[in-house]
Amino acid sequence: MSLLVDMMTNALDESYAERAARRTGEAAPVPESASASGRRRTLAGFAVLVALGLLTGTAIAQVRQRQEVGTGLRADLAAQARDRTAQTDALAGQTDLLRAEVTAIREAALSADAAGRALTARLTALGLASGTTPVRGPGIVVTVQDAPAGTSKQTDPLRPGTAPEGRVQDRDLQDVVNGLWAASAEAVAVNGQRLTALTAIRSAGDAILVDLRPLTPPYVVAAVGDPEELELAFVDGPSGRRLQTFSSLYGITFEVRREQELSLAGAAAPDLRAASPAPGGGS
Amino acid sequence: MIPALALVLGVTLGLVLEPTVPAALQPYLPIAVVAALDAVFGAVRAQLEGIFDDRVFVVSFVSNVLVAGLVVFLGDQLGVGGQLSTGVVVVLGIRIFSNAAAIRRRVFHA
Repeated sequence: MSLLVDMMTNALDESYAERAARRTGEAAPVPESASASGRRRTLAGFAVLVALGLLTGTAIAQVRQRQEVGTGLRADLAAQARDRTAQTDALAGQTDLLRAEVTAIREAALSADAAGRALTARLTALGLASGTTPVRGPGIVVTVQDAPAGTSKQTDPLRPGTAPEGRVQDRDLQDVVNGLWAASAEAVAVNGQRLTALTAIRSAGDAILVDLRPLTPPYVVAAVGDPEELELAFVDGPSGRRLQTFSSLYGITFEVRREQELSLAGAAAPDLRAASPAPGGGS
Repeated sequence: MIPALALVLGVTLGLVLEPTVPAALQPYLPIAVVAALDAVFGAVRAQLEGIFDDRVFVVSFVSNVLVAGLVVFLGDQLGVGGQLSTGVVVVLGIRIFSNAAAIRRRVFHA
């Protein structure tokens, strides 16, 4: 402790006292500023103070610059993300157009004879079933949302790092979707993303991904089918009851709404993994 | 009056010119400023007590800045740079405050 006490009591540099003592030992001191050496010393003090100011100013300027660089970088990244999202959206729109064109051309080509027309009907049915064709019709919309902040305890103390309890998980969304299928939905889309037999709903970090595309809450699950039948079967079914339990336990909010007219986009046709077009066409 | 002018001049120069500091020296700049401030507060107190000496001031200023920088540099090499700069700031801060208290006593007699 003596070090700290020493620091508190002898805050002043001891050499000041020493020099003063030595000076009083000498003859009556000459008025310092008058002498040449005195003037030089004043100049030195001046220079030191300018140096201190320069140091301070530079340090302040540095910190400011660093902050500017930081915010600039963040803004850059955000702009890039926005750009890419816009690009993706544009490309998705283009895909939809091209798909519609392909469908139209195919229908025109196949409408020539009865076999072709039968094929078209089969293609349409398959497209509906597989989810690659855009569909419209009546149905229900289930909107699930995270618990509002503050209604649930923050993190699970037993499993640190897990998401707060009030957050909708990927498996909750899977459950809702499966419940809708079980309630005889004919087509389902989550936040506008059409689901097919190959669509995965999973989480990466805090985000829920549908087919590798992140979703932002609220999660809107739209299902086409007979609205009355769908709603009854879903709400009374196991996943509807589970949602009600989550809602009362964790504060997750959900809402089921009937819609007379829903239109769901088609999903991208699955990538061909092993197959490739045979040379010379299909004939 | 003149010292205050010198200080203002320095700060303005630093802010306006924004001299580029080599990246290697950047972590030591804030520490150097605190060390220099300590020397300045010591000088003001000595002035009020009538024992101010230019030479002591200049030497203490330069050595303070150098030693503080050296201590932090050493800490950086040992991997405890952050903690050591905290230590330097605490020690110099205490000194600045007790000198400031002495100055206050002299000026306001309170």
